Amino acid sequence: MERSSRYVQLLAHLVLAATAVFVLFPYAWMLVTSIKPIADVIAWPIRWLPSAVTLDNYAAILGDSRFLRSLINSAVVSIVVTTLSLALAVPAAYGLTRLVEHGGRPALIGILASQFFPPMVFFVPFYIILQAVGLLNTLPGLVFAYLSVTLPICTWMVATSLRDIPVEIEEAARIDGCGDFRILFEIVLPIATPGIVTAGIFAFVLSWQEYIFALLYTTTERAQTAPVLLFYLLGQHQIDYARLMAAAVLLSIPIAVPFAIIQRFYRSGMTEGGIKG
Amino acid sequence: MVASPTARGYLFATPLVVVLAAVVIIPAVYNAGLAFFKYDAMRQAWQFIGVQNFGNLVARDEFWNAVGVTLIWVAGNVSLQLVLGMSVALALNTVTSLRAFYSAVVMVPWVSSFVIVAVVFLWLYHPELGVLNDLLMRIGVVSEPIAWLASPGMAQFSLILANTWKFFPLVAITLFTGLQAIPHELVEASTIDGASRFETLRHVVFPLLAPSIATAVLLSAIWAFNAFTLSIIMTGGGPLRATEVMGLYIYKVAFDAFEFGVAAAASFVLFVVILLVTMAYLRVADPAHGVRG
Repeated sequence: MERSSRYVQLLAHLVLAATAVFVLFPYAWMLVTSIKPIADVIAWPIRWLPSAVTLDNYAAILGDSRFLRSLINSAVVSIVVTTLSLALAVPAAYGLTRLVEHGGRPALIGILASQFFPPMVFFVPFYIILQAVGLLNTLPGLVFAYLSVTLPICTWMVATSLRDIPVEIEEAARIDGCGDFRILFEIVLPIATPGIVTAGIFAFVLSWQEYIFALLYTTTERAQTAPVLLFYLLGQHQIDYARLMAAAVLLSIPIAVPFAIIQRFYRSGMTEGGIKG
Repeated sequence: MVASPTARGYLFATPLVVVLAAVVIIPAVYNAGLAFFKYDAMRQAWQFIGVQNFGNLVARDEFWNAVGVTLIWVAGNVSLQLVLGMSVALALNTVTSLRAFYSAVVMVPWVSSFVIVAVVFLWLYHPELGVLNDLLMRIGVVSEPIAWLASPGMAQFSLILANTWKFFPLVAITLFTGLQAIPHELVEASTIDGASRFETLRHVVFPLLAPSIATAVLLSAIWAFNAFTLSIIMTGGGPLRATEVMGLYIYKVAFDAFEFGVAAAASFVLFVVILLVTMAYLRVADPAHGVRG
């Protein structure tokens, strides 16, 4: 298929160009809407290009103290979940792949499989547990729920990246008398940093965009995250789509930036375990 | 350092296992318990009630509605994603230039936040101000605006389209990785033997691609069974429950009606279904050996 005719090449490019339009159009429209004056947004027939470029919609959404509060909540939860996930996943991945017989394969497969558990299974138990320990409407309560999503994925990803690192250096260090902890911290961690950073970014992004647990377990502004606030903006009587699109652009940035930097790692995460996006 | 390496390895994994038990295993078991037991407040004890919750569940029209909607939803998503994903994978495998650019673009929906997908598609589908209607009317496909989310059949389709946008990259990239693993020699040999491009595709490429296709279909099915964010945000399950997938139905039983036992029973059923699909996936994809191309 390498030596395909010019006609087939053209057809393939057409398919991909059409796909690119299909993929990018919603984002382009989100961006254009967010910089339109309100008169353009409600005009019919639609004005495809803005008559003037404005940042009013961004100013409006950033001037909303509830939105700022929700951004801070989202950031705090995401950072705490990421830190905890890595702190638990890295030693476990090391122990399972390097010390346990057969690279701890059955345990790792079990951990991977749990990422497919339907979230509905957790709806009621989490609610009862969080209520019992007084963590409903709190950020620690959300951290608890989010770990169920991030831990299996982080462990799997760190384990996958450790498998690609040759064990010879560790064996040499062990002969020199290094213990497990020194090997982990002084030898494995520095080499495995790219894989660990990728797993951390996955944990961050998953927490940042999580929505359903946040909707179920936070009913007050105190612990509401940004995606939930977006949902409430939608529930308003008069939906201000321009403002909503500005909020959507702002919420996309912490996801778009890491994606642009480590795009190729996303692809291997996808093909090596069907990791959720 | 007296213990065996395996014992020390498990020791390293202990903190993770303890937390996983707290956030995954115990809640999942608790959910199963809620399905088969009832808490007796008087005697402060759990009482076994057998399949009472399940009997309650299957007697409801809404449950069977959710079963039907979910089956259409999964079938629609899997087939649309497979057609789109296969076209993109074959095209990516064919082009000799711009491949890195296209594959990066294809990944964009996959990393998009679900809530943002819902909000943006709601805006694209807007009945009066939506750009999609404007576009279709300008190019003359339709003469009057389509009510994307207002009629039962159309709403189902519109949500499947939005969900396909979000999930087809998984199918496309899985199939593309599979295509890349097929040795060029086989394809060339077939062409030299005089087979047409279509015959080569059908008799050489597709059989070799079968494991990747199975992987893609199962993953796409798992995520479709689990997905309900679009329904809850874009339609709330309507119109006339036409988009009330199982996840949303369970959500409503649990938090609108506060029937925790029935919700637990319904999610237990869904859990078993997804477990079976997951086991099939693990068997086909065998991720322990790495499914990289």
